[in-house]
Parts: sequence; structure tokens; C-alpha cells
Amino acid sequence: MLNLLANCLLTATLAVAPGDEALPAPGEIGGPDLTYRAAKILTMALEGPMVVNNGVVVVRDGLVAFVGKERDLPASENRVVTDLGDLWLMPGMIDLHTHESGMSLYQGNDLNDTVYLTNPGLRASAAVLPGNSSSMRAASVGVTTVLYIPGSGSNMGGSGVLLKTGFDKYEDCELRNPGSLKLAQSGNPESWVMGVNRSFMNWNTRNTFKRGLAYAAKWAAYEDTPDDEKGEAPLVDPQWELFRALAKGEAQVSTHTQIYQVVLETLTMVRQEFGLDVYIDHGTIGAWRLGGMAEELGVQAIIGPRNVDAPSRNFMRWAGHIEAEGFRGVAAGYQEAGHKWVGFNTDAPVISDEEYVIQAAMAVRFGFDDSTMDAVRGLTIVPAVAAGVQDKVGSIEVGKHADLILINGHPADPRSRIEQVLIEGRKVFDRNETTSADARAK
Amino acid sequence: MLLKKKRFLTPAVALVGAALFTAPILAAPFTIEDAEDEEPDAYMAVQGGDIYTGTGEILRGATLLSKNGKIEEIGYNLYLPKDTEVVDAKGLRVYPGLVALSASTRMSLGTFAPGLEFHEFTPHNEFEGVCGDCGKSLEEIIPPALDPGETTTEHLAVEGIKSDFDDSYDPFNGYLVMALGNGITTMQQSTTALKMLRGRIDGVTMADKSMTSFSWSGFNPSGKADLREKFRAGNQYLIDLRRWQELVKKDKELKEPSRKGIDSRVLSVLQGETMAKFSSNDRDDLLGIARLAQANKFRPVISGCVEGWIVAEELGRAGAFAIVTPRTRSDRSEELSRESGSSIENAAILHAAGVQVAVVPANTSVDLGGISGRDLLHLPIEAGFAVRGGLSDKAALESITIVPARLLGVDHRVGSLEIGKDADMILCDGDIMHYQTFVQYAIVNGTQVYDKEDEIFYAHIRPRGEVAVDPGEAVPEAVEAE
Repeated sequence: MLNLLANCLLTATLAVAPGDEALPAPGEIGGPDLTYRAAKILTMALEGPMVVNNGVVVVRDGLVAFVGKERDLPASENRVVTDLGDLWLMPGMIDLHTHESGMSLYQGNDLNDTVYLTNPGLRASAAVLPGNSSSMRAASVGVTTVLYIPGSGSNMGGSGVLLKTGFDKYEDCELRNPGSLKLAQSGNPESWVMGVNRSFMNWNTRNTFKRGLAYAAKWAAYEDTPDDEKGEAPLVDPQWELFRALAKGEAQVSTHTQIYQVVLETLTMVRQEFGLDVYIDHGTIGAWRLGGMAEELGVQAIIGPRNVDAPSRNFMRWAGHIEAEGFRGVAAGYQEAGHKWVGFNTDAPVISDEEYVIQAAMAVRFGFDDSTMDAVRGLTIVPAVAAGVQDKVGSIEVGKHADLILINGHPADPRSRIEQVLIEGRKVFDRNETTSADARAK
Repeated sequence: MLLKKKRFLTPAVALVGAALFTAPILAAPFTIEDAEDEEPDAYMAVQGGDIYTGTGEILRGATLLSKNGKIEEIGYNLYLPKDTEVVDAKGLRVYPGLVALSASTRMSLGTFAPGLEFHEFTPHNEFEGVCGDCGKSLEEIIPPALDPGETTTEHLAVEGIKSDFDDSYDPFNGYLVMALGNGITTMQQSTTALKMLRGRIDGVTMADKSMTSFSWSGFNPSGKADLREKFRAGNQYLIDLRRWQELVKKDKELKEPSRKGIDSRVLSVLQGETMAKFSSNDRDDLLGIARLAQANKFRPVISGCVEGWIVAEELGRAGAFAIVTPRTRSDRSEELSRESGSSIENAAILHAAGVQVAVVPANTSVDLGGISGRDLLHLPIEAGFAVRGGLSDKAALESITIVPARLLGVDHRVGSLEIGKDADMILCDGDIMHYQTFVQYAIVNGTQVYDKEDEIFYAHIRPRGEVAVDPGEAVPEAVEAE
């Protein structure tokens, strides 16, 4: 709360500039319609056309009011259509694994407090610095929604928060809090205090889940009791509050998990045993072999940034597994195993959000089939579904947030240039307004 | 007689003169050998591909003929001598082999062996990302004991010492195959330019000591003053030396100017034997280097060059080479009233200002490290980020071929497809700058050294039979149905 207050004070001084009394810009709340005509619109809608060629998008009050062919657009006298030439329109990208919306790992660490082996009560939302340079840069490269999560130094780092990038007020940024429970099953928490290993970590993690879910059940029972029969409310315990959201399916378990056996533990423990909404985060090192099972259980695979299993790597050997047959694209592995819900992540600052699209590019390079735009889905609608926010973001559909990217080619291609980024109808990046372009004009 | 004359010639004239003079010598033993040697000439023709020459035109459906490892002809309807080995390149694109700068993975000893005796210290690469956006410059992070100016391989500069790769290069190295599989046919290791030979080691060292590292940093003012003085003294010494060389003809007793205190590395830069390489990102340092270079008449090589876009014109006037990583990001400083920080347009702006731009990835190992797309195996991806910032596709290709070849002093042999140069090329199934494109074949010295189908690394990914290499031949069913 204090943090929030500080943010308010900080932004209050920045927000109002002289001459701001004019109408909000087109597309923003209270402003006139913003209508774009584009050569290609990648709607990424789960139902209906995924691509609209030579179509229009209308943005009203920060939301998408229309998407489709211009002939289907209701006539309006005041409509001003902005033709984008041969640019493409696509939904803002969603990165479900970043640590950069607050203090950088290098500046001070608010995100990896490994006091206990499981710390479900900690909240990443308390460490958010709205408008920090990393968030602004993420916005400028089209990553408009992020899940800002604690580190993996312990088995449970706390709750993550879903944020919009590109804004300088916390209230504007927050999409959903809690965004997730950050669970880290293996491959980092081992370094906790005296060096724990998988059997103890699994035992302790399971115990933590049981206690948290028992707390949630107690509250659910209380809430289900008719008002006149209600006794005293259970004590609020911040340590376990998150589990109420998890039990109701209002937040997911984002699981730092990799290596076949560990991902198997994710699927059997978190999904099958506790019935929680969970997705695989990382998911590399042979774990793609579980793609079919994960698909069956409705567990999305949000893979990256280590998205290729390489032969003869020393660090790969600790997994007891070497790919004798050569480079194995992890995304391609899941896909070949029958998984249709493969998304990507950056683990920023491991790689920056600017390189998010390269995750998709590398997936395709190493065999991921993009013939039905699965690489673009993996950057947009798949993470939206995984995080349970597909009703708001992840595709260009009527009623959803107008988070739009104007780009001059396939988003996975590093050569494709982003011209403009809108978040909720607000322009957060315009290439023509960047300083370097000014410098060149001089 | 020749020696006396040569002294008065400008370098360009001297070069032409030397070429004219030496040409018959070179030609003579060649013809004798031809007559005596039983071994027939080895011809290879790469036929029917779109040939991207790099420095010249794109020739669609053309043929490249090589003779004994050198490019003999490029064009159409070529006469192919008897027993010419023909590679069918129909539907493929033929590019010059890529040139990788400052590779950290060793092509020697058969294993990943960093820290060899001659390992070049490159602070830009090795300390990249150590502190992220902590706001410190590399100079602040690098421990003083590792000052790049002090730890370069000076012993290599001692006359007579050659590259140790001649007898330690492993021509069966797996990393070598991975490099070839990603288009690299020339690679810098330490201070040496290596040819990616497979199964043989003769002539593996193409050039040595082409760059010498110097330090120039605003955080070390006395170091800057020292270097400025070293260059001044070096130039003065060379002037004195030339004057003495003239005067001593008349007065044999005249004493030769003393070399005492003259920095040998500075001298080799001023004499054009090596290029001065700096690692610098800060705008003020870049300006300082440009001025140092202009005052002392040498062309600087600047690795990093993150804020180069701010002073691109000055760097262009100084004839600078920039080795950039287009993905490098640093924030604009709020403490400065001037422009600062990185720009995606850096490479494009530098190139437009006449700076020779070479691209290196953030990770210079021949290894995915699991996080692919940011290492030497994905050079075109890194160059792709420069294209995003406005660099043309052609300049982007140059940044990973001919420009690094110039930096290594091997541009007369590799870096583009031209008659007389080495027949080092890659045959790709698409645009080299596209992430989905694979190298199908690599050819070095007119010999095929890589075939995607024959190696374990990529053979299983979109096998050639299933790829529509030639749209006329093998269209996948799914596409046909549409």
C-alpha cells in the first residue's frame, strides 16, 4: 500500500502537463473512434478468422469495437479511417515470465527472498515500479502484458502480478493481482540454505499446498454458509490468502519446471493431485516428451528462454540426458507430442523482452510448425489463455482491450520493425517519435 | 635499386608497383608446376543457384566455377572443363561464407577450451551483461588488473611468432561442423583469422595480428593522455626515421633516431601492419577515439560503439570500423543534457555516415547455450536486428561477410564471391537473413565440407526431401491444397 501511495505521489507530479484540457486522443477513453485499415490483421482469435486481410479495426474507449472487413463496418458520418498501408496489425504480446517490472535484479532484489523454502505469502506487486525503463522498453517492442513474478531461489517465491507495460501509474498497469503463484520445482531452489534435493522439495511443496488449500477450504466453507448461520469468520492469514484465489481458479500456478521427471511432478502433483490451474514455465530438457500428457490435462507449455535441447552440453548432462539425435527444438517437441498450447517467455532479464519474438523465431527454426500461425499464437493468445485473461487480452476481438501492434512483417522475424504500439487505445510507442530518428534528421 | 625507389612511393603506388613486379614471379613457378605436376586441376561448378556475390550483383540461376579452390568464373552458360564436380544449386541461394569475429569457442584441441595461452581478452564480450542496467560503463566493471590495454597478447606481436593454430587446429571438431552448418567459413580466434577447413589443416591460418587492442576511457584520463602521447611520439619517430633514412645517404655518420620509449604496438598501427582496436560505447570516448585517429592518421576499429549513432558523422570522417551488437541496450541517462544510450538504429545510422559496420552477437561462442538465437550460430539473426533499425539487407549481409573480412585483413580472399577469391560459399534454402533458412551445403576452397543431411545437428529438421527447395519440384501437399 505504501508502495502504491508512493507511486501515486510520484506520478501525480508527472501526469498533468499544460494544454491537456483537449479531448482525449482517438481510441482513448472519452475520445473519438480510432479506425485503422491494415493490409493484414492477425486477430489471433480462438474462434473465427485468425487473419483478416485488408480489414479494419475500430478502437473505442480503449477497447476493440470492431474488427473485420470494411464493408461490414456500420456507416458513420464522422469516421476517419487511417490507412496503414502495408503494415500488419496484431495483438499486443504477453510474456508470462519477467522479473523486470520492478527493481532490476542488479539494482536490488525485491523478488527472490528465499527465507523459507516456500514463501507463498510474498507478493511481487509490492516491488512494482510502474514506468521503469524495462517496462517502457517492453511496451516499445510490443510486449504489452507481463506476468511479473518472484524468482526461483525457493520452491514458492510468492505471488506474481499481471501488469500492462507502458504506463506510469500502478492502477493503470495492474491487470490482475494475484497473477499467479510462482512455484519453482527444481533447478535453482536446490541452492536454498543447506542444499535440498528433489525428494524433500516435493514433500515440502506438497505440504505447503495442502496447508494452503485447507485454509482456502475453510474460507470457502465459511463463504458458502448462509448469512444467518455464519459464525465467526476464519482468521485472515496473509501467508495463505493466495490459495483462496488458486482454489477458485482465479489465479494459476506458474511453474518453473524443466527436466522430464520434474515436469511429470508438475502434472501429477499440481494438476492431478490438487486439481489446480497450472502451466509449465520453461519446460525444457527432455520435458517435451510429456507434451501429449500436458495437452490432455489442459496444462499449457510456456517455454523458454532455453528453448533448444543441445547435445554435449555440460549443463545438460546433469539432467542425465543427451540428445544423441541432434538439436531438439523444445517447442517443436511439444507440438510433435500433440500439444496445441505452446507459448513462449523471456525470463527477462535472462533475455530482454525485445528478444521475446526470437523465442518464436527459434521455435520455428528448430522445427515448430508455423503454417497456422502457432508461433504468433504462442506470443499472444496462448499465454492469455494460460493466465486466464483471454477475455481481456491476447487477441483482437470486439470487447477486448485495444492492445495493438503496428508492424511491417511477421512478428517472429527480427527484421520486422514495430511502428506503433497501443495499450488500451493509448499510444505508448511511435517509432517516428523516438530520439534517434530525430538525431538522424539533424 | 627497387628498395630505394619504393621508399618514395605512396602506399597505393607501391602496392601497384609491387603487384606488377611480383606477378611474373608468381606466374612463373605456376606454369612450371603445371607442366611437371601430374595432378589435374580440380574444378567445381555450383550450378543454377541465385548467386549473391555480396559486393556485386545478384545473379539469378547462375553458375559459379572454381578452379583449385579459387573462383574462376561466375556467370551464365559457362564452359565446364571435363571432370568438373557439379553441385546442383537449383532453388538454392548461394552466399559468400560468413565471417565470424572474436569467436570464443576454440577450434583447437577438439574440445571447448577457453583460456588458451593466446586467448584474446575482449572486455566487451566477456563483461557484457555483468551488471545489466546498473549504469556502469565497462571500464568501471572490469577489474583494473584486466585492463584491456595491458593484457593483450603482446608476445604475439614479437616478430617471428606465428599463430599457434597451425598445429593445434582440430579439423574434426564438432564445433567446426556446427559453425559450417550455420554458414561460417572464416573465424577469428584470438588474433588469428582461421579458415574453417575440414579434415585438413594446411593453410588454416589466413592472417594474424590484424588488430591490436588499445584502451581509451574517460574514466582513465591519464591513460588517454599517455596514449595520445604515445601516438604523437610514434608519429614523430617515423618522421625522424624517414628524414634520417634520407640524410644518412650523404652523411654516413648520422645517428639513427632512437626507438627508445616508442611503443611498438603504436608503431605497428602507424605503419599499417595492424589496426588499432578499442572497446568503447560512450559517446565522449568515441569522439576522443575519432579525434585521436584523425590526428594520427589511422583508422580505428571500435568494438561496442553503442552510442555511435550520436557521433556517427565524426566516426565516419575518421574512417572508423564499428563492431556492433545491434541487440545491446542501454538506457538514456537522465543526468545528461545530450543524447545518450542505445538506439536500434545504431548500425543503420553508422552505415549511412560511412562507418564500416561489422556485426557480432552478444554471445560469441559456437554454441546454443540452450538459449538459441543470440550466438555465433545465428549471426544473421543478430544482423536482422540491425535491419529492424533501418540497415539495408545488403549492408546487413556485408556486416557478417566482407566487413569482418576487412577487419581480419583477409578481404582479398574471402567475404564476397568474386573471381580470384577463395571459393568459400554457402548454399541456403532461402534468404540467409530469415530465421527459418538453413545452410544446406557449405563449400570451402572449392570443396564441399558440409551437407545438412549428413550431420546429426539439423538433418532431422525439415529434411531436404520434405522442403520445397524448388517450388517446381516438391510442393508440400498442404500448400498445394490451398
